[in-house]
Amino acid sequence: MTSAPKILLVDDNPADANLTCEVLAASEHPAQVSTVQDGEQALMFLHRVGQFAEAPRPDLIILDLNLPRKDGRAVLAEVKADPKLNELPVVIFTTSHSPLDIARCYELGANSYVSKPGNLGQFFSAVHSIENFWFHFASLPN
Amino acid sequence: MTQSSNDGNSNQRLHVLLIEDAPSDAEIEIAELRHGGFDVTADVVDTGDQVRTHLGKNSYDVILADYSLPNFRVMDTLDILREKNLSVPMILVTGALNSETAVECVKQGAVDYVLKDNVGRLVHCVRRALEDTRLRQERTRAQEQLALKVEELARSNCDLEQFAYVASHDLQEPLRMVAAYTQLLAERYRGKLDSTADRYIAYAVEGATRMQALLEDLLAFSRIGRNGVTPAPTDVNTAIEEVLRNLAFTLKEHSVTITCNPLPTILADRFQLVQLFQNLIGNAIKFRGKAAPSITISADKLGEEWVFSVFDNGIGIAAEHKEFIFKIFQRLHTRAEHPGNGVGLAICRKIVEHNGGRIWVESELGRGSNFRFTFPAANADRTGKKEDYDLSPQDLVSR
Amino acid sequence: MTEPNEVDILLVEDNPDDLELTLHALRREHLANNIFAVRDGEEAVEFLFCTGRFQQRDFDHLPRLVLLDLKLPKLTGLEVLKRVKQDPRTKALPVVVLTSSKEERDLIASYNLGANSYIQKPVDFDRFREIVKSTGLYWMVINQRPLSNPAQESRAASQP
Repeated sequence: MTSAPKILLVDDNPADANLTCEVLAASEHPAQVSTVQDGEQALMFLHRVGQFAEAPRPDLIILDLNLPRKDGRAVLAEVKADPKLNELPVVIFTTSHSPLDIARCYELGANSYVSKPGNLGQFFSAVHSIENFWFHFASLPN
Repeated sequence: MTQSSNDGNSNQRLHVLLIEDAPSDAEIEIAELRHGGFDVTADVVDTGDQVRTHLGKNSYDVILADYSLPNFRVMDTLDILREKNLSVPMILVTGALNSETAVECVKQGAVDYVLKDNVGRLVHCVRRALEDTRLRQERTRAQEQLALKVEELARSNCDLEQFAYVASHDLQEPLRMVAAYTQLLAERYRGKLDSTADRYIAYAVEGATRMQALLEDLLAFSRIGRNGVTPAPTDVNTAIEEVLRNLAFTLKEHSVTITCNPLPTILADRFQLVQLFQNLIGNAIKFRGKAAPSITISADKLGEEWVFSVFDNGIGIAAEHKEFIFKIFQRLHTRAEHPGNGVGLAICRKIVEHNGGRIWVESELGRGSNFRFTFPAANADRTGKKEDYDLSPQDLVSR
Repeated sequence: MTEPNEVDILLVEDNPDDLELTLHALRREHLANNIFAVRDGEEAVEFLFCTGRFQQRDFDHLPRLVLLDLKLPKLTGLEVLKRVKQDPRTKALPVVVLTSSKEERDLIASYNLGANSYIQKPVDFDRFREIVKSTGLYWMVINQRPLSNPAQESRAASQP
């Protein structure tokens, strides 16, 4: 990546979003993170609509599941059904450990599913691993 | 026609339906009953319609019936009783009745029979019939009450488990916030506030992380038996391998020696089996003595059960505590002495009992502990192949 | 050899050197107990769809991860990817494309077809090992895989 990679973080819990951003900011080449708190805003951001007209196209979407207004599963479904958006890698990052949720997300086309650990150290590790793999090892569509 | 007694004494009241077409015989029977101490009220009828009407209108303690009425098949009374969902004892009082017919009548539902020329037996018969009815009614009532209690208990249990699950599950999220941010405070502000603040924050962090561990264990406890898994034939050896992988770091850290004798395949939920052994082995390491922990796992077939043993060289358990430790939240040591929150063994017991087994410990203070539990032996597997009960341990090793 | 029904990682790679390197890197990190390799697209499809040479396999025991090269004989990697991602029985399987191709269109096509991720094999030997290690770690440890029988699985279970 020559310019800073861009992440769209969708999380309705400001405390979690803050933690995630902290880890991402601590990286050697920190990504540019945009945070939205509900599913509707996420889609507006991706479609560059309304207040998000100037929004950058993200390289990676980190998506929580339980969101107000439009939940993460619906956002995932819409993104993966849209030929203009479906190549964007979506990492589900959620507290849900439910096997049904996991199965459903993969069916809807999620690229990856990571459970938010309860322990702070492990949480940091998880976010770091996500950032590390997707930006330093994987190749992403530009 | 009805006749009633004007006897002032407190004799046992008896309301009788007399199915008899000879009035004199009816009178003799009523007199016999009064003579025997009953306060008799009797309705005498001799047709099927009258029987039906009277049974519909009144409630009787006993029915006395002459077997050989010309207009009515007396045994049909039993059908009428069944139809109306009544259970009044019926005694045949009749002239000559051959013994085969008598037996047949009793089989069909008459409680007894008395020959008219032996009418002295009547009172005794009636008393016995009344007593039997009373006992039967008591038993039914007791059974119904038991069923109700069982249902109540089951519902209460279900509510409790639901509550435990929901409480633990929903508490995890806000707790995660508290734990994470107190830890961050501790890290970011260490040395920047005063030492009292450092100490207070440390207590908060400790409390939060302990609560997280407790909730996780509680969740695990409440999930046992509720995840809908059908037990499948599971090779216990591979379950142990998984446990050893999970505990790899701890095993190395404390130089633990594990000796594993050949273990069988049993019908179980694999995840529960791993939980069970992981808790027992984890405990054996937690409650170690001065020597490096050494743990031996083995199994013996005893009748229709496998008896497993997890034997350690740890600190042991005093006799008075051996039952107590399986209770949830019960601990024998302070947190400074040994870690843990008192849920591990409760989980083990719940798993074992859920699978129809029992768990106990053989131990002496200072001499290690042998935790033992039973599991029913696996029989036919899903495809209908029967496993050979008499496999020797050597046969199982080769898997 | 590996039980075909207990495979953790399926490697689809026709280049023997790359195969050797990848296997070596994965085994070093103890990321998987059972790694199975197939050498062409046809074999890969038979393996994943439990047909032909792999009739005894079943859909309850899909591998946890597929590392898929694109340049394959008999059936291309993109074709394999397409079939896997379009069939409901295999759609949820994590497939990571691991290819030497530097073509942008291969990358776009892969993500469009539903590849979970796309990784370019570096020329440098050490970097290659590092990539395999990180990929393995991410997909076998960090990532939660879909479960073939949700009621049966362990750690992730938290059903009410």
